[in-house]
Amino acid sequence: MKADLTWLDDPQTFRINQLPAHSDHRGYASVEEATAQHSSLVQSLDGTWQFAFAPDPVHRFEGFYQPDYDRSAFDRLTVPGHIELAGYGQIQYINTAYPWEGHHYRRPAYSMGADQPEKGMFSTDPQNTVGAYVKHFTLNPALANQRVSIEFDGVEQAMFLWLNGQFVGYAEDSFSRSEFDLTPYLQAGQNLLAVEVFKHSTAAFLEDQDMFRFSGIFRSVRLVAKPELHVEDLTIRAGLDDAFQTGDLKVRLQLTAASQLSGTATAQLLTADGQEVWATEQPAASTLDLAAAIDHVHLWDHHDPYLYQLRITLKDVAGQVVEVVPYPVGFRRIELKDKVMCLNGQRLILNGVNRHEWDAHRGRAVTMADMTQDLQTFHDNHINAVRTCHYPDQDAWYYLCDQQGIYMMAENNLETHGTWQKMGAVEPSYNVPGSLPQWQLAVLDRAKSNYEMFKNHPAVLFWSLGNESYAGDNIAAMDAFYHHADPTRLTHYEGVCRNRVYEDRISDMESMMYDPPRAIEDYLKNDPQKPFVNCEYMHDMGNSLGGMASYDALIDQYPMYQGGFIWDFIDQALWVKDEVTGQPVLRYGGDFDDRHSDYEFSGDGLLFADRTPKPALQEVDYYYGQHD
Amino acid sequence: MDNTTKLNVIFGDVTLGVSGPGFHYIFAYDRGGLESLVQDGKEWLYRTPMPALWRATTDNDRGNGFSTKSAQWLGADLFSSCDHISVAIDGQSIPLPIAPENNRYSDHETATTVAVTFTYTTPTTPATTIAVTYTVAASGAMTVAVHYAGKADLPELPALGLRLVMPTPALGFAYQGLSGETYPDRKAGGRKGIHQVAGLPVTPYLVPQECGMHVDNQWVTVTRGTTQNNADADHDAFSLKVRQTQHHFAFSCLPYTPTELENATHQEELPVPRRTVLTIYGAVRGVGGIDSWGSDAEAPYHIAGDSDHDFSFEIAGPTPV
Repeated sequence: MKADLTWLDDPQTFRINQLPAHSDHRGYASVEEATAQHSSLVQSLDGTWQFAFAPDPVHRFEGFYQPDYDRSAFDRLTVPGHIELAGYGQIQYINTAYPWEGHHYRRPAYSMGADQPEKGMFSTDPQNTVGAYVKHFTLNPALANQRVSIEFDGVEQAMFLWLNGQFVGYAEDSFSRSEFDLTPYLQAGQNLLAVEVFKHSTAAFLEDQDMFRFSGIFRSVRLVAKPELHVEDLTIRAGLDDAFQTGDLKVRLQLTAASQLSGTATAQLLTADGQEVWATEQPAASTLDLAAAIDHVHLWDHHDPYLYQLRITLKDVAGQVVEVVPYPVGFRRIELKDKVMCLNGQRLILNGVNRHEWDAHRGRAVTMADMTQDLQTFHDNHINAVRTCHYPDQDAWYYLCDQQGIYMMAENNLETHGTWQKMGAVEPSYNVPGSLPQWQLAVLDRAKSNYEMFKNHPAVLFWSLGNESYAGDNIAAMDAFYHHADPTRLTHYEGVCRNRVYEDRISDMESMMYDPPRAIEDYLKNDPQKPFVNCEYMHDMGNSLGGMASYDALIDQYPMYQGGFIWDFIDQALWVKDEVTGQPVLRYGGDFDDRHSDYEFSGDGLLFADRTPKPALQEVDYYYGQHD
Repeated sequence: MDNTTKLNVIFGDVTLGVSGPGFHYIFAYDRGGLESLVQDGKEWLYRTPMPALWRATTDNDRGNGFSTKSAQWLGADLFSSCDHISVAIDGQSIPLPIAPENNRYSDHETATTVAVTFTYTTPTTPATTIAVTYTVAASGAMTVAVHYAGKADLPELPALGLRLVMPTPALGFAYQGLSGETYPDRKAGGRKGIHQVAGLPVTPYLVPQECGMHVDNQWVTVTRGTTQNNADADHDAFSLKVRQTQHHFAFSCLPYTPTELENATHQEELPVPRRTVLTIYGAVRGVGGIDSWGSDAEAPYHIAGDSDHDFSFEIAGPTPV
């Protein structure tokens, strides 16, 4: 197969040769490696790559992936990172309108009719910047002669992949992991990996989040070896009996083998201090369903985020360990009881924040230090919940939330704001994904990627279908997907309030953003059918966050009022060197000559962009502390 | 304190001087306000205090159009004029003591209390008045009472206070009240106590805006280390204290006026701090927070333009030796 630039224009082409999404477990070659959380089966490709930038597809470096291509003019770039923050391509911040506002007139493919595919929209776009990335690598010994795949944790917004001059695959969905099997293309010694990243594709219509608009390989890249026996997928359901005394553990393993499925799979459940409470050994099979009842189970919740560890050990026929997969297990139950969301039988109060991934130096390429600092801020201020607005975060964040007992609203990478709301008015004369069949597979794929990757995290209580994307058959199909795939969690989507024809099919909760307290009270007083959640409230732009008392008062008055998520956690602004003084200063939209822009509207955080708290944070600490 | 001590009163042709041990105040008729506040030899005023009727637009103000609706008060903050002055000695009103009226006084006049009222007329439609009365006691303590006359058809006020601009930037301030930056609709998280603040921090909102408010205070003490007096070689820190009278007061202590903040689109555009702007507020509008593109602050946290408002505070006299 050859790479085809017109895939950029086709909403029905979004993954070519990608491996199916699966759980985010990591395999280790031994128990010792698993304990140290350092896998010899993984080879990071983060670091310095060769790079060349083209302003548009016409000027791109065609054939740069060929081994004999002259790349002597290529520059160096650090992966992960944004192309724009490395000085290539203009930085732009824009909220609801599309980034090409005022530059191009566009309608999404098929939105004006099945006969209007809008060919060439992005493949011939004179402003669609292109990054050509090249990385040479030699496999570590532990990966040599194994099946090897490559994981891209985040590439914005469309990528083509080659290895040793051969086309491997294509991916969209900037915020979900894209994985490709490299085994057929690997060679002994040095290998030549090439990635061509396009700033825009039809995915742009689905990724209209209120954020700086970047491109590039902005999350980690790694090679992963699959040993002789390998856990491809792992599904953990750690439920509870009705008395919340006995854990109901169900584990499904999907195994593959390099040659033939043989040997054994052992599953153990260990307490936090390493005591085995359950174990089983089975002959290896492509699918293994395991189950156990755990007496006197230690529950997981915000105040006591107790984690067991599931340890899967795969052994070959000779009894040698070939792969160890550890995974944290938290036993908890989220459910609707009398139209109230309950965790482990108790009414749930969400003291939440919306959190964009942000670092004022690195944009969305956040670091572990950023994440741990954010969780400390959560801890210090009674914040118990986070909405991953408006895309899946780095997977490390989910593990940290498991450990810290942070309730997650795991949101899909979807926002189509500019297609249905213009200058604040609901105007869905054209919109995606709507009910357009040509857009359904793309959004369902995003839902599936989100589910498969994060399905085992106890912290995830809710699947969120996306943000501000109106409502139609395709959003309803996403809701149905989540409910079908995962009966153990609730779904969330706010946008159905814009098209209530779908309210019976979309979202287990009534979710609103920025409803004044009185409007919420009206809802709660009038025979509400779903519990109420503010998916966004207390817009903390600049000097704000006044009046929180009125929201707080609803908690004690109305059991179906279950709190919400403050907008938002951290200002999005960027450190730049002041052109006058040479001092570092924080800049926002419009400061990069970027037009159209929404300027300072990205500064809505409880924290300033440098992670220092805004004065308003003490107010959050107080009110969230009232119902902690 | 010796309660029998009397104030020296200097019935000048342009000003009214009032002094006692460790203090000397000058009320200027031509400047329309309190021109000089010297305690222990240190000048505390750069220009006459004026009614504070504007706050630098917050993002929420901009979003809900409050600044547009209340724009008259920006003009009033900058351009209100003093068009009436009255003086009372020992509680008795006297004709304004300028020549020839003051020809009957000497260089040895005394009083137990001196009160001067400056009445400012706002360039609003309709116009209204704000009267500021300074009453000096023999100790040098000065009570400041502000009366805002409500008028139908005036928009809600962004702020109502009295702004004291000091000649040099403060080293810091201390106050008894709530921790952090607080507003009437955002103060539940403030911890009561005595708080020390180093320097004159400006909350670094992406776009400079109203900031640094502290509500519900009993007192605030501003400490400086420098003056503009060329003959003053002393660099020891010195302080001025403001106390509550009947009610707690709100204040902010910043290096900038609201218009300086208003004019900047980024922190780095703010001027080099050169002065201290201490504003004592009798009423503070809430900051709001429901959204930043239309929702107003909740009604209890507005400041009505059509009703009267009164507040007062005391500028403490010098520390007795």
